Amino acid sequence: MTSHAATADPLFPRSSAGSLIAAALLIGNSVLMLYPIVIMVFSAFKTTAEIFDAPFALPDFTYVENFARIWGETSLPGYFVNSVVITGTSILLTLMLGTMGAYGLARYSFPGNSAIFMFFLAGLMLPLKLAVIPLFLQMRDFGLLDTRLGLILIYTAMGLPSTIFIMTGFLRTLPVELEEAARIDGASEPRIMLSIMLPLSIPPMVIAAIQNAVPTWNDFFFPLVFIQTDARKTLPQGLSVFMGEYTTDWGMLFAGLTIAALPLTLVYILMSRQFIRGMTAGAVK
Amino acid sequence: MLAGNMTKSIVRRTIGKLALTMFVAATALAAPAQAEDITMWSWRQEDKAAYAKLIAAFRKHHPDINVKFEAFEAANYNTVLSTALAGGTGPDVVQVRAYGTLGVGKPDYLVPLDKTMVPEFANFPDSAIAAETMRADGKLYAVPLASQTMLIIYNKELFEKAGVTPPNTWDELVTVSKTLKEKGINPFGNGTATAWQNETIVGALLSSQIGAQFEQDVLAGKADFTDARFVGALTRLNEIKDYFAPNFSGVDYAASQQLFAAGRAAMFAGGSFEIANFLRQNPKLKLGLFPSPVAKAGDPKLVALYYDGGYAINAASKKREAALKFLRFIGTPEFGTAFSNDLQNISPIKGVNFENPLLKEVATLNQSAMSYIMLVNFRYQEPTGSVLLQSGVQKMLAGKATPAEVGAEITKGIATYYAPFKK
Amino acid sequence: MQTDYRNRERRRRAAWIAFLILPPLAIMLTFVVWPLLSALSAAFYRWEGMAQGEFVGLKNFADVLFGDHFAALTWRAFRHNLFVFFALFVVQNSVGFLLAWFIYREPFGFRFHRIAIFMPVILSTVLVGFLWKLFLDPNFGLVNQLLEMIGLGQLRQPWLGQETTALPALVLANAWHWVGFPALVYLAGMQRIPREILEAAKLDGCNGWQMLTRVVWPLVTPSTTITLTLLFIGAFNWFELPYIMAGLDGSPYGSTDVLGLYFYRTAFGNQTAGLQDFGHGNALAVLMFLFIAAVATVITQYLRKREIAL
Repeated sequence: MTSHAATADPLFPRSSAGSLIAAALLIGNSVLMLYPIVIMVFSAFKTTAEIFDAPFALPDFTYVENFARIWGETSLPGYFVNSVVITGTSILLTLMLGTMGAYGLARYSFPGNSAIFMFFLAGLMLPLKLAVIPLFLQMRDFGLLDTRLGLILIYTAMGLPSTIFIMTGFLRTLPVELEEAARIDGASEPRIMLSIMLPLSIPPMVIAAIQNAVPTWNDFFFPLVFIQTDARKTLPQGLSVFMGEYTTDWGMLFAGLTIAALPLTLVYILMSRQFIRGMTAGAVK
Repeated sequence: MLAGNMTKSIVRRTIGKLALTMFVAATALAAPAQAEDITMWSWRQEDKAAYAKLIAAFRKHHPDINVKFEAFEAANYNTVLSTALAGGTGPDVVQVRAYGTLGVGKPDYLVPLDKTMVPEFANFPDSAIAAETMRADGKLYAVPLASQTMLIIYNKELFEKAGVTPPNTWDELVTVSKTLKEKGINPFGNGTATAWQNETIVGALLSSQIGAQFEQDVLAGKADFTDARFVGALTRLNEIKDYFAPNFSGVDYAASQQLFAAGRAAMFAGGSFEIANFLRQNPKLKLGLFPSPVAKAGDPKLVALYYDGGYAINAASKKREAALKFLRFIGTPEFGTAFSNDLQNISPIKGVNFENPLLKEVATLNQSAMSYIMLVNFRYQEPTGSVLLQSGVQKMLAGKATPAEVGAEITKGIATYYAPFKK
Repeated sequence: MQTDYRNRERRRRAAWIAFLILPPLAIMLTFVVWPLLSALSAAFYRWEGMAQGEFVGLKNFADVLFGDHFAALTWRAFRHNLFVFFALFVVQNSVGFLLAWFIYREPFGFRFHRIAIFMPVILSTVLVGFLWKLFLDPNFGLVNQLLEMIGLGQLRQPWLGQETTALPALVLANAWHWVGFPALVYLAGMQRIPREILEAAKLDGCNGWQMLTRVVWPLVTPSTTITLTLLFIGAFNWFELPYIMAGLDGSPYGSTDVLGLYFYRTAFGNQTAGLQDFGHGNALAVLMFLFIAAVATVITQYLRKREIAL
């Protein structure tokens, strides 16, 4: 991400016609990207009738009835905690197991190494959704139905291929000399991994964490099938509670969606660089 | 670290649960008369509070049984339920759909019931009992819960404002709609963007013209959907579509409900279940009802009727006795009355006392009914009559198909599995 | 002695590698591979809803490809997926490429725009679907109100209610959600191009457009490979957005029906109209999977050959 704006002779001077057109088009695009999100937040401060009547009017921000109802009447705060626990734990597990696997694949040569690597890579493309019924039967046999642990394991499995992909790519770039020197000093293999290699691997771990945390946080399908008890539902699944059988309370829904979108959006604004690298990891060399 | 502790606590809780289960199992063996917990599943998330009251009433009779109510999003209920049943789990008491396979796939998942097990079946009309009978084996599996009626709901104040009264004949309906529109009132709130709304529109508006005799002829193999009675009724529907919500093809179910509930449309062709929805959204609404208008004065006025699920016992349940006690309670007029009045639904149980005059009116209209034809008769194999009717009418109202084409398409689709249509 | 020590060392090393590799491998085998294989085998049986019946061989596959009413729906959905893929290639990937170029030129405010364009990518599809459904509402929606405001009131439409506009509208909503992704992948690709190449092109008198089409585009082929492959997989797995915006039936009358919806509807049943049929649903899933895997491999192989190593 080198910036060449500061160089003495810019390739594309900002005052050139091309740059002005680019700037104008980018402004237009950013309005298009952000305005809908603004509307979502506005709608959260309106009644359902107001949303239908004047969807784009500025709301009265003192109207917090939707949020109050979500806080008081619904289990949304509980769903929120569940989402944090499930996303957090599965990301930690994915990182731990993924880094172990990647380390084994990247730093040691042994028969079957590339076959196992290819196997994990293939996992990047497998649509697990298509196998939800067999998965359900299996979870029952393990006694993991309707448990947060069950979801955590599924998300961990789904996150492993990309984590292994990212971590293997990084760990392969670390120079052999690092571990050779430690080995000569008599350090054991686990020690070399834990105290020499892993401390260098924090940035790719953040990338891998973000790449998996966003889809896990937003996932709607697996909790829907596997979690039945209200107290264990996740946030996106819990939001579906607002969509009753025959009516849709849009004001509540948007307030719920705003709450659901808020944490990631805030973290994104603070750490946009890591987010962009994380979400495009694998697609960007 | 925080999350690590949480994993630990989940593991610990799981172990704790295991120990608890073993303890419960042990005490159950020692003292079988101990209080029992049974769970029930429903797709009515919005009914949670009302069920708490209903369960409390049940516990007055059976203090030894605890009932836990769990509800799921309606659109995904079948998925959740059938995965659970296929996995040999699920609740003790299951809310099932009506007709065909009752939404559970095959009979083995449920406990068959009869009048000796549930004497309360005597409280139900035959059509209700038939609705909870599985097509595959002809056995009865569930205690019917509610009936739903397709009719027209209107806003009394808007009618008064426009100086119109509920129409009896189709021509009067057209005149009423025209008058309303001239006075700047949307005649119908209905839109067609949500597929299944097209089926309810047909049931609510056209039943009197399609006629009960047509249904009997179809079931006897004497008529199919190219019949003049059916195609003719669809043709009349085309006459009135301009009085639906503006841009009706893009107006989905929620938006059309909102139009009517907000007092922006005078009529809504839909199910009796909408009454409660509308009043919840706008308690000030003054609602009236009328059945599908007739082709000519003197013809019988009909509503379209179907049963909307019931409660069954999971074959995998280890607490059948307790579950059966709860099912028997669901069959009593006491439950029916409380259910109807708390949830604004029509219980089919004889002897129910409706507090709400609108529901009483629906119950009266139900005495002159035909069935909601596709759901009741042709929803047991793909392509279902409902799928065909919904997309056919949606297409017709968009001006992309003629009524005769729709009738032919429906007949052709059903003919793939319904012998009398194969020619 | 020496060999003993070596053997012990070798065993220790093997045990250490096994300790590293086996746990993630076991998780993958248990929770991904095994269920997928079971799903494959399930497609060879007749199913009553979710209950397995007898072995029927390839019947389910034959039904969904050539059978009475299944086949027409399968091929219609397939055509819609193809349309979605090509349309998204234009409005999502190509627009993403252009926007990447604009950001690459670093005009005023480019850092802000880089963050803004990626913002929708982190949102959930559920949210994006509802948001755009509201915007496209024929009577109260932003799109129609905007047209009215700028004097194009006659262009107001029920966007999601018409055969001609429903699928394009979904494609646009999807492009809004995801355009930041190809844009920033392309941006990263552009930033790998050595500055000297562009400077040389400028000295040769290339204008901005020529530089984009003749110099930059060929040099970012690796980014095209990856974005195109991911787009293909995404377009043929498309489910959540049409599910939320058009419903399980692909309203109006199937004009937005895609394979993802059709698979789900067949397997799990549509509560307001249809039935569950796990056998045919699984056959569809298996065919979809094979098709996606095969074509994605071909695309990758073909484009890889055209990549220019930098």
